This record gives sequence, structure tokens and C-alpha cells, in this order.
Amino acid sequence: MRNYLSLAAGVMVLGLAIPAAAETATPAGRIKTVSGDAFIVHAGQTIPATIGHEVFESDRVRTGHDGRIGLTLQDDTRVAIGPRSEVAVDSFSYAPAEGSLGLALKFVQGVAVYVSGKIAKLAPDAVRLETPAAIVGVRGTTVALNVGAD
Amino acid sequence: MMTRGCAVLGVAVLTAACASTRAAREPQPQPEPSTARQAHDLVALLPDPGTGAVGRAVVSNRHGQVELTQARESTRVGGDAAPTAPVLLTEDEAARLFGEVLDALPPAPRHFTLYFKFESEELTDESRRLVEDVVQEVKHRPVPDVIAIGHTDTTGAARSNIQLGLRRANAVRTILVGAGLTASAVAVASHGEAELLVHTADGVYEPKNRRVEITVR
Repeated sequence: MRNYLSLAAGVMVLGLAIPAAAETATPAGRIKTVSGDAFIVHAGQTIPATIGHEVFESDRVRTGHDGRIGLTLQDDTRVAIGPRSEVAVDSFSYAPAEGSLGLALKFVQGVAVYVSGKIAKLAPDAVRLETPAAIVGVRGTTVALNVGAD
Repeated sequence: MMTRGCAVLGVAVLTAACASTRAAREPQPQPEPSTARQAHDLVALLPDPGTGAVGRAVVSNRHGQVELTQARESTRVGGDAAPTAPVLLTEDEAARLFGEVLDALPPAPRHFTLYFKFESEELTDESRRLVEDVVQEVKHRPVPDVIAIGHTDTTGAARSNIQLGLRRANAVRTILVGAGLTASAVAVASHGEAELLVHTADGVYEPKNRRVEITVR
């Protein structure tokens, strides 16, 4: 009975928290800087990346020979990529009230900088940066990557 | 038998650990020139562009791992060997490799906390003076996201505090809209008394908990 009651209380708290936390398909973040040839790959479609455009989990951003893109995610994580570069937001979850925290970025090619946000602060092991050859675990702030450097 | 099993396991783990340490410390042989050119990734730890703070990064693959702990320490990693021992990039090298992409980083998000009078959505006088800082910060950004989350102290019922927190967040939105921001650029939410800044028992009057936390990104 006691367990049942605490479960009920938990459900009530959750019920209150959900409307404040998120509607469905909350974007992971937004494009804040863009120049040159720059694209978002969303649901299999490649569209030009424009400033202010939303980026969702499973999206990729990609640049041409003169492109650059900067993103800010909901947890204050920042990512920038240089020319001929691509990064995939493989997973993103930021709902601290529900204990759901996770970020996986796959650096597919080119040059990129990652500046950690709240997920790395609250749950460092929930952040995973991946390159074709390596996995990078981060304990705070700034990591630069050059994928396929030589 | 069980003890022996553990000892064997222990040795295996120790050997693996030693191998990975050795791999990390010793320079890796260059790839054979005759084989197909192997792609390598370069990973470098940089100082935070705003604060200069240096964190830590652990770069690993199935052959081993290496830890980067100093500004501009870097490692190269390919598919067939452990990441190389850390190499310090010069400032020039770091700038040449990453200067351009660092310039593309969005501005760092900023956080503000505004405080409110008891049982009220009226700002304290001190916080009222901070509003202009928030407005300026938002106006400096080409595509700002503003999130205002209302909080309360533990006096009153939890449910009514959700409402009070929301009224506070909306009051902040009204002020920011009055200063020229568009209403749709300011998201509001309330956590009521669920996330106290100063932890107190229920029913405690605490000015520091009566607040709206604003994120500008």
C-alpha cells in the first residue's frame, strides 16, 4: 500500500512536470551562426542551413568547401564545424527533472569544436563524442577535433 | 576455485591495463608507407573560449586510451593502434587548425536570476535594476532563445506555487516584451517549489527561492 502510494505520488509529480518540460519533438537546439555552403540533413532530406533553424535529434549538419555552422543545444552545449565538415546529433536528451540526460555527437569528417553544456556538468558519462577512429569522453569544456587529419 | 578464477581475471585485467598505459605513453610507430594511407583523427583539448578554463578529455579506441589534461594537448588516433601519447600543439598550430572553427562558435549562453517579493510577481528593487542587462544581452544576439523558469519558496501549497512560479515567469516575459523583444522569443515555465536554490523544510519563507531563472542563448 505504501509503495502504491509513493508510486501514485511519483506519477502525479511526473504529470505536473511534463507540460513544463517539453512538447513532443522538442528541438535539440538551433543554428546560431552560419556562412558559406551549409546544410541540415533532416529525415533523409538535405536542406540549406539558415540562421535560427532548429536542429533535432538524429539530424546532421554539413558544410561545403567554404561553409561554417555553429549550433547551441538546449543544455547550453555548443558545437561549431568548419569547411567540408559533418557532425551528426545522434542522440540528445535534456530533462533533468526526469533524470533523462544524454548527448551523442558523431564527428563524421572535417574540423569541429565542442564546448560542453549542462549535460556534461550533471552527468559527464552521459556525453559521448565519436569520430570514425575514437571515442572521446569529456570532463568539461572545450575539445577540438580534426577528423581524417592525415 | 573461485579465488583462483578471480586471480586469473585479475591478471588479465592488470595486463590489459598495463598494455593500455604503455600504448598511451610510448610514441606509436608510423603507419607502413606501403599500406593504404590510414586516416587519422586529431583530438585536442583547448581552453574554454570565454573563461580560459581547461577541462579533461579521454580519447579511446579498442587498442587503448589516453587522457588530455592540459590546454592544447592533442592526440592522433587511427583504427589500428592506440591513441598517441599527448603532444602539445603550439598556439600557432592550434590557431591554424582550429581558429576558423572557433570563430564560428555561437556566443556562450548567459544566465540571470531575478528575485521577487513575497507571494508576489513583483520584482525586488535590486532585480529590477538587472532587467536592462538581460535586455541588452538578448538584443546582442542575432537569434536569441530566452527561457524564463519561475520558482517559489516553500510557503503555501505546492500546487499553488506552480501557478505563482508561472505568474513570475510571465511577469518577466511581459517586462522583456515591453523592452522590445517578441513574445514568442521568450519561453516560460514553472518549477514551483520543486527546485529550491536554498534548501529548506516545507513552509519556510526564503527570499532566495522566490526567483525566475533566465537563460539567454
